[in-house]
Amino acid sequence: MGLNLLALASSRLPSLIGAVSVQGIALGVMPLLIEHELRWLVLLVAVATVGLKGFVIPTLLRRAMRTANIDREVEPSIGFVPSLLLGAGGTIAAVALARALPLLPEHTGSLLVPGALASVLTGFVLLIGRSKAISQVCGYLILENGIYLFGLLLIHSTPLLVEAGILLDLTVGVFVIGIIVDRIQRAFDSLDTRKLTVLRE
Amino acid sequence: MTAGPLLLIAAAGLAAGIVMGRAQPRLWLALTLVATTAGLLAAGTILLGAPAWEWRSGFDFAGEEFHLRLDGVSSFFLALLSLIGGLGAAYSHEYWTDERYPKSAGRGRMWWSALVLSMGMVLLSSNGLHFLIAWELFAVSSYFLITLDRQRRDVRAAGWLFFAASHFGTLCLFAFFAAIAAHHGTWELGPMRDDPATAWLFWLALAGFGLKAGLFPLHIWLPSAHANAPSHVSAILSGVSIKMGLYGLVRFSGWLPVPAAAGWVVLGLGAAGALLGIAFALGQNDYKRLLAYSSVENMGIIAIGLGAALVAAPPEDAGWARLALAGALLHAWNHGLFKSLLFFSAGSVLHATGTREMSRLGGLWRTMPWTAALFLLGAVAVCALPPLNGFVSEWLIYVGLFDAVTSHGSAAWAAMPAIIVLGMTGALALATFAKAGAIIFLGAPRTRRVAHAHESGPWMRGPMLVLAAGCVAVALAPLAFWPAVARAVGAWRPAWEASEPPAAFASLGPVQLTLALAGVTVAMALWERGRHRGVRRALTWDCGYALPSARMQYTSGSFGGLATGWFGWILQPERTLRRPRGLFPREALALQRVPETVLERVMTPVGGVILQVSAAARRLQHGRLQFYIFYVVVGLAALAALVLFGSMR
Repeated sequence: MGLNLLALASSRLPSLIGAVSVQGIALGVMPLLIEHELRWLVLLVAVATVGLKGFVIPTLLRRAMRTANIDREVEPSIGFVPSLLLGAGGTIAAVALARALPLLPEHTGSLLVPGALASVLTGFVLLIGRSKAISQVCGYLILENGIYLFGLLLIHSTPLLVEAGILLDLTVGVFVIGIIVDRIQRAFDSLDTRKLTVLRE
Repeated sequence: MTAGPLLLIAAAGLAAGIVMGRAQPRLWLALTLVATTAGLLAAGTILLGAPAWEWRSGFDFAGEEFHLRLDGVSSFFLALLSLIGGLGAAYSHEYWTDERYPKSAGRGRMWWSALVLSMGMVLLSSNGLHFLIAWELFAVSSYFLITLDRQRRDVRAAGWLFFAASHFGTLCLFAFFAAIAAHHGTWELGPMRDDPATAWLFWLALAGFGLKAGLFPLHIWLPSAHANAPSHVSAILSGVSIKMGLYGLVRFSGWLPVPAAAGWVVLGLGAAGALLGIAFALGQNDYKRLLAYSSVENMGIIAIGLGAALVAAPPEDAGWARLALAGALLHAWNHGLFKSLLFFSAGSVLHATGTREMSRLGGLWRTMPWTAALFLLGAVAVCALPPLNGFVSEWLIYVGLFDAVTSHGSAAWAAMPAIIVLGMTGALALATFAKAGAIIFLGAPRTRRVAHAHESGPWMRGPMLVLAAGCVAVALAPLAFWPAVARAVGAWRPAWEASEPPAAFASLGPVQLTLALAGVTVAMALWERGRHRGVRRALTWDCGYALPSARMQYTSGSFGGLATGWFGWILQPERTLRRPRGLFPREALALQRVPETVLERVMTPVGGVILQVSAAARRLQHGRLQFYIFYVVVGLAALAALVLFGSMR
C-alpha cells in the first residue's frame, strides 16, 4: 500500500513506472506467501505475474517513453499533496469499507481486501489526476493490480484459464497503448490527453 | 363488385402512381382518379349496406399477419379520403405544374399518392403494428408535401413544427398500442369492450389522436402547417388528415372501454377549441391561416358531438347521444367538403395574386367571379347557415344537445354550456367569413397586381365545382346520406343501429329546399331589378374627403378589431403604433399581429428552458478522458453506497 502512495507522489515518469513494477513483483509473490502448500498451478500463476507485471510491461512502457521522446515530468492536474491526501483517505475508507462488506469468515481479518480496494482507488486517482498517456497506463495498471489482489481471494475457484486470459489481455492492452502513444506523439507532437478534446464528437 | 377487388385496384393504382408520378403527370392523374374512384365505390358498397369486409393474409409482414377490415366507421372516412384525394390530384394538375415548379412538382405527385395510400392503410389496418407503420408513413408523406416549396424559410419551419408535433403524437400512440398488445397478448385489434382495466388507455389515445385532429391545446402545429403548404395539400390536410385523428378517437372509443370522465373531457376540449379557434381565425390577416384556425373550430364542434355521445355511452340507447354522434360524423364529411372547397378557392386566389395577405387583396369578384362565388358558397356552409350543408350537421348536434337538456339527466349540465358555446361560435364564424369574403372579393383592388388577377382554369375550377355540388347535395337531400351515417353509428355502437332517421332530421330536407328556392328567387329578382333599372354608382360617404383611394378601405384588422378585443386575453395581439405628430405629419404606422398564443407564449418558453437545461448538461461532454473516468468513479461510488445503505436498511 505504501507503493500506491509512492506512485501518487512520484513526479517523474521513470519512478512511477518503477513503483508499478515493484508492485507487480510484490503482487506476484503474494500467492506464494498466502498459500500454505505449494502447488504447480499457484506457482505458475506467480511466475507469470512476476514476469509480466514486474518486467515485461515496465520494459514496454519505458521503451514507449524513450521512443516517443517525452519529457519525464508527470504534469498532474491534481497536485501531489492533494492526490496523496486522496490516496490516504482512500486507503482509510478502504479499511472502513472492508469492515462493512459481507465477506466470508476466513477473509474477514485479512488485509487483502482493504489493500485491493485501496489500490483500485489509487488507480482511479491516477487516471483522473494525471494527464499524460503513460501515467494513465500506470494508473490503469494499479487499478488492475487491485482487482488482481481481490481475485487472489478466489484463486482456488478461478480457473487457470481466466487468470491467464486476464494477464494476456493486460499485456496486449499495454502493447497496444504503447503503439498508440507513439502514433499520438507523431500526430499531435504531444501526449497530453487533454489536447485530444478536439476529437470528442 | 365487392369491396375487396375495388380496394385492390385502388392500392395498385396508388402504388403505380408513386412509381410513375414523378415523370408522367397525365398517367399519374389517370391512375389516381381510377384508384380514388375505386376507393369511393368500395366505401360506398359498405356504407349502403354490404356486410363489413375483412381479409387476412396467409403471410407475415413485420412478424404479424396482415389483417384488413373495412366496416361502417372506416368506410365512412375512406369515402371522404377518396373524394378529396382524387379532386386534389386533379386540382394540382393545374395548380402545381411542372412548368411553374419544375423542382417540386414531380416529388409532389409522388408524395400525394403515398399520402393517400398510407391514409387508406391507416383506415384499413386492423393490427396495431401495421396501424403504427401506416400512421408513421402518413406523417412522413404529409411532411414532404408540406415542405414541397422548401426554399422558403417559413415553410421549412412549419414543416419541422409539424414533424415534431407529429412525433410526439406517435409516441403516445406507440405507448397506446403497445399497452393494448401487452394486455391482450396480441397486436390484433377489434372490439374489446368488456375489459375495464384498459379504460385508462383512452387518455393516451386522446393525446395521440387529438394532436393529429387539432383539438385545442394540441393544435399548435396546425395553423402554420396548413397555411404554408401548397393549397391542394392544405385542402387534404384540413379536409382529411385531421379527420384521421378523429377516426382514431371514434374507432378506439368504440372498440375499447372508456373512462367515465372521457366524454366530459372531450366535450370540454371541443367547446374550448370551437370558441377559441374561431376567435383566432377572426384575428388573422393571412387568409390561409384563417381557414386553418377555422379547421380548429370545426374539429372542436365535431369533438362536442363526439363528447356528448361518450357522456351518454354507459346508459345504452340514449336517443340524443345517437343524434349528437351522427351530427359529429356528418360534420366531419361536411367539413371535408367545404373546407377543401375553401382551400381550393384560396389556392386559386393565391395562384392569381401571389399573396396570402388579405390587406393586399380586394375587388377580386370582378376578375375571378367563379372563385368568388365558390368561396362565398363555402363560407356560407362553414358558417353553418341554412340552407347549406354545415347547417345540417350542426343542426343534428344542436338537436342532440337540446334533447340532452330536456332529458334532465346529469348530461344536461354538459349540454347547456355546449349549446351556448356553439351559438357563440356560429356568430363569430359568420363575422370571420364575412370579413374574409368582404376583404378579399369586395371593395376595390388594393394593389396593382390584384387588379390584373386572372380566373383559374378548368382543372382548378372543376374540383371546386364538384365539391360545391357535394355541399349542395348534402344540404338539399340530407336524408339520402342518412343510411351512411347510420351505418357508421351502428358500427360504433351496435345497440344504436337504427334504420329510421330521426323526425328532426326527416323534416329538414324540405325546409332547406324551400329556403334555397326562396334565396335563389330573391337573388334572381334583385338581379332582374338591377338589370332593368340600372345600378347607380357613387362614392360612399367619406366624411367630406373628396379623394378616397383604395387604401382607405376597411382592412382585415379593422374589420375584426372589435371582436379581437373581446378575446384579447387569449389572442394577445401585438401592436406597433406610430401616431402622426406635429402639424405636417410625415408618416404613421399601425401594425397588428395575432400570434399563436399557445405556441409562442407557452410552448416556446417551456422549450427554451428545456434547451437551456440540455445545453448545461451537454457541458458534461467535453472530451477530457480524466473527467469521464471521474464520472465512472462517482457512478460506481453512488451504486456502492446504494447497495451498502440499501442492504443496511
